[in-house]
Amino acid sequence: MAALRAGLLTRALTKGKTPRICEIVLGTRAASGGSKDILPGPYPKTPEEREAAAKKYNMTLEDYQPFPDDGQGHGDYPMLPDRSQHERDPWYQWDHPDLRRNWGEPMHYDFDMYIRNRVDTSPSPVDWRTMRNTLLGFLGFMVLMFGLGEMFPSYQPVAPKQYPYNNLYLERGGDPEKQPEPVTHYEI
Amino acid sequence: MANYKEAPLATRPKTLDPAEYFNLSPEYRRSEEDRAALRSRLKRQYLLQLNNPHRQELIEDPALTRWIHARGKNVYPNFRPTAKTSLLGGLFGVLPLFVLYFVFKTDRDKREAKMKAGTYERPYKLST
Repeated sequence: MAALRAGLLTRALTKGKTPRICEIVLGTRAASGGSKDILPGPYPKTPEEREAAAKKYNMTLEDYQPFPDDGQGHGDYPMLPDRSQHERDPWYQWDHPDLRRNWGEPMHYDFDMYIRNRVDTSPSPVDWRTMRNTLLGFLGFMVLMFGLGEMFPSYQPVAPKQYPYNNLYLERGGDPEKQPEPVTHYEI
Repeated sequence: MANYKEAPLATRPKTLDPAEYFNLSPEYRRSEEDRAALRSRLKRQYLLQLNNPHRQELIEDPALTRWIHARGKNVYPNFRPTAKTSLLGGLFGVLPLFVLYFVFKTDRDKREAKMKAGTYERPYKLST
């Protein structure tokens, strides 16, 4: 029994997939919950693996296209076209109408980005290039004009403010007995 | 249907696509039938569970479980350090640390030197 436990522990430590406490202690696991073979796995290398993966994801074999195997961690998850849920038929009776999705349908890898509150890939009135050029042109023009305005300012001529009563001699705390020197703001 | 124009900002529905109706090859028809069969089987499975009067729990969606597993637990086991992944990791994980350190350090050292020399203009008033 101790040897069994030691064996299980070493297996747990070396294999990387740690079984839960019940598995380590008893060598068993619960029968409830889904089985592990419906979950995604590594990239399919042989045609049989591809068929099994297509069947697992409820897709036909020609539709099933996994992500390219460049080590970025997609595994065998299918690569669906990048279309947002905005583009789906609004009048069809979906199982989940707000998500415009049926039960069991394979979800896009970025499904939470393509929901109807977020990114929309519907066709735009003008193509993207024109939109981008218009936006950048407008922003560039505004930046240019503001820059020129900073370099060559143009406004009404101003002068320092002129105060009466000899430059407010008394209000500024000048001696009332003394005669202040006269201050004139004009020239004739 | 000949003069149907899509609503602006909407994709043309599949049922109004002329390619669906004219000059169909048997392979195309076959594949469409397969897809429709898959969809109808899933629909049937869902509706059986939905309309089951004795059901008291949530209808679990295995496609959702797979999606969550793929994005959460399936990334690290399938990660491989390649040129591209190492470059991305270095660019987004390692480089910002050094770049930000140098940027902040030089900016603050300059400000400190100015303060010591007495030439620093405070941008905001510290007191009334």
